[in-house]
Amino acid sequence: MLGLDRRAWQHFDGVPFGLLLVLLAMGVANLFSATHAGADGVAPQFQRQLVSIGLAGLGLAVAVLVDYRRLERLAFPFYFLACLLTLSTLILAPIYKGNQSWLVFGPLRLQPSELAKLGLVLALSRYFQRHPPEQLHRLRDLWGPGLVIALPVAIIVAQRDTGVALLTLLVGASYLLFVHIPWRAWAVVIAAGGAGFAALVGFALEPYQRSRILDFLEPGRDPLASGYQAIQSRIAIGSGGLFGKGFLAGTQTQLRFLPTQHTDFIFSVLAEEWGFVGSALVLSLYLALLLWGLLVASRSKDGFGAMLAVGVVAMLFWPAVINIAMVLGLAPVIGVALPLFSYGGSAMIANLIGVGLLLNVSMRRYLF
Amino acid sequence: MNDRLGSSGEGVGGPRLWLVSAGLVATFAVFVLRLFQLQIVEGALLNEQSERNSIRTLRLVAPRGDILDRDGRVLATTRPSFSLEVLPSELRRPERTFRALGQLLDQDPERLEARVGHPRGRARFQPVRLVSDLPFDELARVETHRYALPGVLTDVSPRRQYVDGDLFAHVLGTIGDIRADQLEEPEYQGYGPGDVIGQSGLEARLESRLRGQDGGRNVAVDVAGREVELLDQVEPVPGSPVRLTLDADLQRAAVQGFAAERPDEPERQGALVALDPRTGDVLALVSRPSFDPNAFAGGVDPVTWRALMHDEHKPLQDRAIAGQYPPGSTYKAIVAAAALEEGVASKATRVFCPGSFWFGGRRYGCWRKEGHGSVDVHAALVRSCDVFFYEMGTRIGIDRLAYYAKSFGLGRPTGIELSDEKGGLVPSSEWKRRRFGVPWYAGETVSAAIGQGYNLLTPLQLAVAYAAIANGGHVVKPRLVMPDLPPGATEEPTSFVSDVPVKPENLAIVRAGLMGVVEEPGGTGGRARVPGVNVAGKTGTAQVAGLQHFEGMDDSKIPLKFRDHAWFVAFAPAEHAEIVVAVLAEHAGHGGSAAAPIAQKVLARYFEKKAAREGLLEAESPPQQPAVAADGGTVSARPGSEPGAGSADLALGDAHARP
Repeated sequence: MLGLDRRAWQHFDGVPFGLLLVLLAMGVANLFSATHAGADGVAPQFQRQLVSIGLAGLGLAVAVLVDYRRLERLAFPFYFLACLLTLSTLILAPIYKGNQSWLVFGPLRLQPSELAKLGLVLALSRYFQRHPPEQLHRLRDLWGPGLVIALPVAIIVAQRDTGVALLTLLVGASYLLFVHIPWRAWAVVIAAGGAGFAALVGFALEPYQRSRILDFLEPGRDPLASGYQAIQSRIAIGSGGLFGKGFLAGTQTQLRFLPTQHTDFIFSVLAEEWGFVGSALVLSLYLALLLWGLLVASRSKDGFGAMLAVGVVAMLFWPAVINIAMVLGLAPVIGVALPLFSYGGSAMIANLIGVGLLLNVSMRRYLF
Repeated sequence: MNDRLGSSGEGVGGPRLWLVSAGLVATFAVFVLRLFQLQIVEGALLNEQSERNSIRTLRLVAPRGDILDRDGRVLATTRPSFSLEVLPSELRRPERTFRALGQLLDQDPERLEARVGHPRGRARFQPVRLVSDLPFDELARVETHRYALPGVLTDVSPRRQYVDGDLFAHVLGTIGDIRADQLEEPEYQGYGPGDVIGQSGLEARLESRLRGQDGGRNVAVDVAGREVELLDQVEPVPGSPVRLTLDADLQRAAVQGFAAERPDEPERQGALVALDPRTGDVLALVSRPSFDPNAFAGGVDPVTWRALMHDEHKPLQDRAIAGQYPPGSTYKAIVAAAALEEGVASKATRVFCPGSFWFGGRRYGCWRKEGHGSVDVHAALVRSCDVFFYEMGTRIGIDRLAYYAKSFGLGRPTGIELSDEKGGLVPSSEWKRRRFGVPWYAGETVSAAIGQGYNLLTPLQLAVAYAAIANGGHVVKPRLVMPDLPPGATEEPTSFVSDVPVKPENLAIVRAGLMGVVEEPGGTGGRARVPGVNVAGKTGTAQVAGLQHFEGMDDSKIPLKFRDHAWFVAFAPAEHAEIVVAVLAEHAGHGGSAAAPIAQKVLARYFEKKAAREGLLEAESPPQQPAVAADGGTVSARPGSEPGAGSADLALGDAHARP
């Protein structure tokens, strides 16, 4: 079962894995600073995150060791299980911070929608393995993948977790970049996507979310209330300057002027304390990791592996891009966390399993 | 490249993957550019903003200088004032907190809660003031329960306190927030919005001395506004204390003089000025009714303000310096001095008073219908004979009379250190021509000679004029602020501004007449007598417009607001006066009965204090040196000696210094 083949280990991607460790280490240090603010000693949130990273490391190890081809048949069962778990939150979970996305087992809190994203990646990879994208030529060929995408998205929308729903939709839609439907059909897809987005904005968004979009369109609309976050984030980033204010020395962070600084605005903490140099370095690490993921996709010896890699890249790319764009004031403030950096155990586990899958696909590219 | 996505189909994958990669790189390039823009291009600006966020400069307001009376007693000081505030972001269980606060402060919890409301966004981090100027016992109660009341804060700020309430209201004045129009004036350079300044009275006049220099502290604050670190601090410099010439004892005695005789009557209205004629020191300056300036110290509330503004008795007006009244018979002393100096009368000149005076076909009555018979200047003053002065007036003429009146300081502000002082009015033919465009009628001089007609003066002006009579002809500029003694000097400098053109012997005749007013039988001012001291004085009755309607009516039947104002002005000891007191009692009737007793209270208190001081001096002198004790008595009886400023200790020191 465990593919501890010597040849596989020869092709283990040590450099990307090293970059991942550097990124994780910087994330840990940064989260320490973000949660340190105003607290004595080590913040409980930081301790929880260390435990989550430990668990996520185990997940990554398993995801590397198990030959990904064994996952082909497990893809849909996993997908349905994740969807079922997510669905169960609607019945079991309390409404917390305006949405209903948490399963609580004693000290453990799980956000199954993060696993549902992973399940969607597995299921779509399996689907496109069966139906290679280059064979999809007509619009109606998209019914299948459309349904696979729609199920988890619908459940997550029902949880009122709009951010994750949007991300899940984007991850699924990313696969469509590789289908070969005619340009006219693309127009239909884009129109449908636009209508879906408008419906999301119109009906599923909370008033505060809508006002954030308005804030983005018109900054300074309400500087003390809803526009506050964007302004404080901008100040934090800009005041970092070239080299930053130093570890634990960012005034915006340590005096808690930054809102939700351990989750949504974690990148502002980095930018304030590490400056342009530190944040550009982290951006480069992300870029390198994502490009490597695409390389893994292109080098994969089979369709499932390639699709898996594409899915994992999308799973990391979208939240990262949306989060950073939001933090930099290039996008409205919608609650999307930064993968591998923000506080949050479920996302960390899902993301590290994803990276594990990339390593898995990459190291087995010469095995038949 | 072994491209699974690209190799197995026609045009699939390969180019798209490249496109996707390029898109990725482009996206991150945009991010890096944006970072460059924020951190490098706008970095300095945004860094400044972050400092403004977290570094707060808190002003440490310098306490205003104390205001002291001549004996060093505190009249106005600055005390800490505590306020209770609530920081909404820190409230844990609001209902419980407000219920507890309601019990501690004996207030309705729901109203407390309503005052805080439900602020959102950043407003949650702004403290809301629940109670300002918290009484000390409530402060203590809240402080002992603070541990159980998260989000409840107490703040301390300096607050002006006027120790004697309304006693010195008009002199000390009020403080208040600087107004927008004041900020633009050059004299308020260096002030900012929200600064508290003296708005009236001495608080305004002495602003530059009383105002300290505010300090400040730079603190790092967190988002909740909590101070997390003190970065640096500049201590405030308190304002300088200012010692006044006023004597709180005399002020209090004067106010007691105005108090109602019976509890069901209202306080009497009017003004009182006490001066030291030797120096110009103002010993008491009273205007009744008054107001409590403490109400202004924390920002006056609109209800109180409107009530004060619209009070028909005008408590905000300082009647002592801005109330202008006809001088009535108090004017006669000046007419007498003018007549003697002009040579139209001598000490021996007699005029027969049959009870009325005929001039230009008109009859001018004497207040005593039966007449005074043949009177000289002395008797005319003592008995306040109108006819004698009608005659003197016509002999002097209005313009010469105006010349003398002005030389006594009438007709212009005295120059006391208060704004809004009025100058009164000394009529002359030229004035009338200018004012009304008609010539002066000789008959008007008759009225003017007994202080009716156009004549107007303030109680302060009258005190200054009588001070000149008392001190041998020196017109003083009254002063409220004790001057700094030049090094080596033991006596206060005088504040004489000019001398009256009247020879000392003529002034002596007037003084003798004035002493007769109080001390001789038949004098109108007998109720101002003080045992052991010769008091000189003059009564007066200032007619209120339209009084003819009530002529001959019993005083008590005339509506209060149409009754005459009562004047009394006195100085003592008559020969070497140390104190002049001018009293105006509004609508109180006759000066002798209504105003003289008030002046008497002040004079009595003055000489009581003086006697106590001298007694103290003798008691404290070493018994084995009787010569020194006797000397000590001499020192304080010395005409030039200064009663208030020379405290017992100082006088004692003087005595010891003598060989």
